[in-house]
Amino acid sequence: MTQPLLSLKGVSRYFGGLRAVDGVSFDVFRGEILGILGPNGAGKTVLFNLISGIYEPSSGEIWFSGEHIEGIPPHLIAQKGIGRTFQIVKPFGSLTVLQNVLVARGVTRYSHLFKVWGSWGSKAEIRKAMEVLEKVGLSDLAERKAGLLPLGNLRRLEIARALVVGHSVLLLDESFSGLRHDEISRLEDLIRSIRKDGLTVILIEHNMRVSMGLCDRIIVLDHGQKIAEGPPVDIQQDKLVIEAYLGGKGTAYAS
Amino acid sequence: MRLFLEQLLNGIAMGSIYALITLGLALVYGILRILHVAHAAVYTIGAYAGLLIFNITGSLLIAFPGAMIVCAIIGVIIERFVYFPLLKYPPFVPLIASIAILLCVEEVCRLVAGPHILTFPAKLPFPDVSLGGISISSTLLAVYVITALVLLILWYITTRTELGLAMRAASQDMEISGAMGINSHFIVSITFVIGSAVAAVAGILVGIYYNQVYPTMGTVPAYKALALIVVGGLGSVPGAVIASLLLGMAETLLIGYANIPLPRDALAFIAMIGVLMWRSEGLLGSSR
Amino acid sequence: MSSYAVTIATLLVIQAIAVCGLNVIVGYAGQISLGHAAFFGIGAYSAAVLTTKLGLSFWTALPLVIGISALIGLLLGLPSLRVREDFLAITTIGINFIVEAVFRYVPFFGGALGIGGIPRIAFFDMRLKGIPFFFLCLGFLVLVLLICWWFTRSWASLACYAIREEEAAASTMGISPVRFKLLAFVIGTAMAGLGGSLYAHYMQFISAGDFSFPVSVGFLSMLVLGGMGTLWGPVVGTLILGIIPELFRPLVDYRIFFYTLLLLLMIRFQPGGLLGEESFARKIIKPLLRGFKK
Repeated sequence: MTQPLLSLKGVSRYFGGLRAVDGVSFDVFRGEILGILGPNGAGKTVLFNLISGIYEPSSGEIWFSGEHIEGIPPHLIAQKGIGRTFQIVKPFGSLTVLQNVLVARGVTRYSHLFKVWGSWGSKAEIRKAMEVLEKVGLSDLAERKAGLLPLGNLRRLEIARALVVGHSVLLLDESFSGLRHDEISRLEDLIRSIRKDGLTVILIEHNMRVSMGLCDRIIVLDHGQKIAEGPPVDIQQDKLVIEAYLGGKGTAYAS
Repeated sequence: MRLFLEQLLNGIAMGSIYALITLGLALVYGILRILHVAHAAVYTIGAYAGLLIFNITGSLLIAFPGAMIVCAIIGVIIERFVYFPLLKYPPFVPLIASIAILLCVEEVCRLVAGPHILTFPAKLPFPDVSLGGISISSTLLAVYVITALVLLILWYITTRTELGLAMRAASQDMEISGAMGINSHFIVSITFVIGSAVAAVAGILVGIYYNQVYPTMGTVPAYKALALIVVGGLGSVPGAVIASLLLGMAETLLIGYANIPLPRDALAFIAMIGVLMWRSEGLLGSSR
Repeated sequence: MSSYAVTIATLLVIQAIAVCGLNVIVGYAGQISLGHAAFFGIGAYSAAVLTTKLGLSFWTALPLVIGISALIGLLLGLPSLRVREDFLAITTIGINFIVEAVFRYVPFFGGALGIGGIPRIAFFDMRLKGIPFFFLCLGFLVLVLLICWWFTRSWASLACYAIREEEAAASTMGISPVRFKLLAFVIGTAMAGLGGSLYAHYMQFISAGDFSFPVSVGFLSMLVLGGMGTLWGPVVGTLILGIIPELFRPLVDYRIFFYTLLLLLMIRFQPGGLLGEESFARKIIKPLLRGFKK
């Protein structure tokens, strides 16, 4: 049994009396696409925030590549190679698309006393940034101000930035939300190609068809607790999952 | 002991006036997230308008509502023509505009009414009272009563009327309350009307209390009020009131009674930074 | 060139240096500072004390002045930058008032009378004044602008821009918001300190009232008017807001009224600044430039 890349052990996060995440444990293995599903308010984004360092767990441990990462601030977690997107896109609006990616390219330099003063505009840097933009299909929009882009492109920009930072793990938070059909299938292809490059992807997704089709394994949360774990085929038929989504009397899942 | 009590009473009066001034600022911040420094300009205009109307009619009963109406109009003008169009810019843009308005109004007052200190020799229709050997002048009594009245009315409006509910909803989330049919812009204007009218009352009271009306009378309150709304918790009106009362008492007692030579203006800010270090949302603020 | 014009020009250049510093804080890193005059004052008083009480020359004192301004910027910045955005504006106002009070009431700084007898700057054998002094200040301004230009080519500036736009996203890219906000703050206060030092040697007499809150407002207005986050914005803004009071001088009594009215109108109708994105000036110049390129 190979060592998991990322491992959560009994992770909880309370906000006052609210148990947003309650004793969640699971492992993530290198090269897999793991889906995190659950009805609204189940605690999925809070879970991402815990992994990426925005929140500190109230209890429990998070292991990455053999070291504790719970409680480490977000910028340090980024430097370990974990990249993420946000459910509500956060582009650097007044910077160009290219500059948005360049910001991400600096991830290894921001904590370095001398490197941080180096120039970001060198040909090599721009070339590397353009490569990423090509991968997500945004290269002809490189000089456009990010704030002017429509949602579909903004989601791809989010992924581009996360790709640069996340050379190990990519956390994608509802990246398919609000996209049209053609955009969705393009994004599915992109994620599969990312996995082929050797990255591990964890995605939060509401779109059932997408998550069932894309993910190797799925974890389902409800009210902060893990209620199911397994391949899509098992999850689809899991009684607890159906109940959580449909509130009791469901038959087959809704797609 | 008697000196202490007298100073305490002065302090409470001082605090009450601060509360009246700060009230409008807190209301505006609560709803627009703008630091309405120009509120001090409204306050100054209130003092001048009240004085003018009093000099013409000889009656405070006309001067008060008259000044309140003038200030309410000016408040709404500021909101509609300056703040509203600037809402989409970063917050220091309306802040600079607000400061510019304050400075401009001070200059207008100076040019129109002259730079000298004018007197406001009105007698407030309250009796001089003597409680256990301590004399409370009519002005002092007036300040207590009027402030209490204003706070009561405001409390009633915000908690017991539909308008108040709409105001509180809008200050929580303008977009959503708009989606629920609350005319947000109207609510914003009403907030300015109320805040400005109260500023007018404060202006007249200060004018009578110190018997002084002059163009730059708004400058010091402007910045103290800023510190006070932070101490009280940005967006919390009761917090601002409590902070005002505390500052009024602290200033009067520390400087008048205990003779500690702290620079008065800086005191408000020192207190503010102290409170922020202890509780980063202010006394009654909520972390948003 | 009349000595009056040289006086104005020199003061403008000195102010522009301070405003460049403010631009790093507000324009590049998106942090508000309404207390910049306090650091201008800290530079001025440090220079004054070091040269009058310790007998140092301007040049020897200069690195110390910049160091002190930066250090105090760091100390005051640390708690300030942790507070919420709304609080930051008021906290910086508070810093301004408190620093001014310290200069006014602490006897070491001369109290209400301030510090006088600050020597002129010596350049080799010359005691600089008038036009040579103007060129010295200009030289410093050019240096400051070069530093800003070089800064905008570094990863540090990208980090600052990112924090300005979306702090949460920036942190997921390895950027520590506190660290870079502080960095920008320290650079900005150091530049303000430099300006203050030049101011002290120029006026030869300073007092607490020179560094009061309205001065901070003036700096911020100059920056906003010129265009925050641009390289030349601080210079343009300072020029305009610095020259206008002089243009209004003939209006004597109505000067301040027109000045504040103009400020209000400018901010109301050109909030992005004259060199900013949607500005009037750009809208006219861009098509002109395009016309030339054809």
